[in-house]
Amino acid sequence: MGATILRSTLRDSRRGLLGWGSGIILLVGIMAALWPSVRDVYDTELLEAYPEAMRELFDIDAMTSGTGYLDVELFSIVLPAMFLLAAVGRGARAVAGAEQDGLLDVMLLGRPSRVRVLVEKAAGLTVGVVALGGALWCSIAVLGPIVGLDVDLWALTVGSTAMVLLGVVHGLVALAVGAATGRRTRALVVAGTVAVAGYVLHVVGALVDAVEPWRPLSPFTQAIVNGPISTDVPFGFVTLTATALAVTVGGAVRFARRDIGIG
Amino acid sequence: MNADVAIRTRGLTKRFGRTTALAELDLDIPVGSIFGYLGPNGAGKSTTLRLLVGLLRPSAGSAQVLGHDVSRAHARIRTRLGYLAGDFRAPAALTGRRYLDDLAALRGCRGTTATDRLAERLAIDLDRRIGSLSHGNRQKIGIIQAFQHDPDVLILDEPTTGLDPIMQRTFLGMLREAAAAGRTVVLSSHVLSEVDAVADIVAIVRAGRLVIVDTVDRLEARTRRNIDLRFDGPPPLAELRGTPGVVEVSEMDGTVRVTVEGSTVELVRVLGRHDVVDLVSHEVDLGEIFLEHYQGAS
Repeated sequence: MGATILRSTLRDSRRGLLGWGSGIILLVGIMAALWPSVRDVYDTELLEAYPEAMRELFDIDAMTSGTGYLDVELFSIVLPAMFLLAAVGRGARAVAGAEQDGLLDVMLLGRPSRVRVLVEKAAGLTVGVVALGGALWCSIAVLGPIVGLDVDLWALTVGSTAMVLLGVVHGLVALAVGAATGRRTRALVVAGTVAVAGYVLHVVGALVDAVEPWRPLSPFTQAIVNGPISTDVPFGFVTLTATALAVTVGGAVRFARRDIGIG
Repeated sequence: MNADVAIRTRGLTKRFGRTTALAELDLDIPVGSIFGYLGPNGAGKSTTLRLLVGLLRPSAGSAQVLGHDVSRAHARIRTRLGYLAGDFRAPAALTGRRYLDDLAALRGCRGTTATDRLAERLAIDLDRRIGSLSHGNRQKIGIIQAFQHDPDVLILDEPTTGLDPIMQRTFLGMLREAAAAGRTVVLSSHVLSEVDAVADIVAIVRAGRLVIVDTVDRLEARTRRNIDLRFDGPPPLAELRGTPGVVEVSEMDGTVRVTVEGSTVELVRVLGRHDVVDLVSHEVDLGEIFLEHYQGAS
């Protein structure tokens, strides 16, 4: 049978992935072009002018190194947001979107079982997000050295993986909720809420001691606690992968036995 | 289960929340027959068909297709089904061929020759993007996908929607051939005339309940239809009233409305002796059939 749904999913999402990939490469290009002047600015006493809380929150002290600059400017907010948007949109479309567009019926009357359809859709989403991670890695690895933005390639791999995992986990939440309910909007709302709550927990946990113990519940903390660009692989990668699998299984269980096309 | 029965339902019931969309449906559809499933919009036709293909789960009762329970043995039947949804839609960005090739692969058949033959017959260009096709042509894509893997059972929800009269005739020809080759066809409609030309058995459903199951001939024998006539000269009202089968005659502004029950043979014979300048036969109203049925039953 050979993964027909996975292949058609990837083929049909080619254009969207090219768009997101180009966006990431463009963004990296801009940030790389800005690096030489940023480095000069942060070498001055401007650093001391920031309040302590802001320095802590945005890790401004790190801005003097190339790795720190990328961590702060790209890997903390902008890139996670891009990976999340790309993955969640894809996840919500994969089953619930197809169902509401009337395209799912015939897909479920082929040889693959419903669970198989869901697994192939999840695999398609994962492969797409990994491709975006690849584009990110390559663009920094290639453009960085040109402007003197030297980053350890292994650390860059860990940082890129963190972005991919954040995207995949939230994308699979959207896919699973969509598969369980058949409603695209619900999938988007739940995945969006998880993302915002996770991010707030991650940020507030860094500043408020009382919230700190809850921080491991945040996918962001799990993914980017060490860097994100870091030579140490966080244990959170395992946690996130397990979460992604659990969420997909949960969605599949419900999807396998519910009514299709009444949303 | 009897090998001659392609589809069997027993007490098949579907509830959505508090609404009962289908109540205790008992049907036996023989292999190789064309089953016309009639009812007004919202009567439960689509619900029944979606239960038969396994997209909905019964709230109670059971449905068997080709000897397999739809809920429990879906894998054994689903590729032997050809299903056309009532609001068939296909990805706008793909060409017809790309979409149909995807589906063929999904069903484990490389049905390109069958697909091309069907496309030629329905006169549709498969190399155009589906999004650029007219409603009728998109419906043809839906028909091709239902037929292309040569399924044993065809479940078609309002399949002639959007087809012009010539294509409707071509399509009905395809149904007859399928039945002649031993395939079983279930087609739904809210218009009797669409179904009575091909169906062997007709069932009428209303408000989720099966009202009538009968052969087309018997159903037609007790169906009333209105025929409007205009004559060159004074209309032969008395003669019309005395014609067998005619149950009512009225005149208004020179147009005579004749209500006939069953066959129109005797009426046509009488009309042949007069100068009829215009004749309009009206679509049989399903509501009237229900009414007669209830009157007949009471």
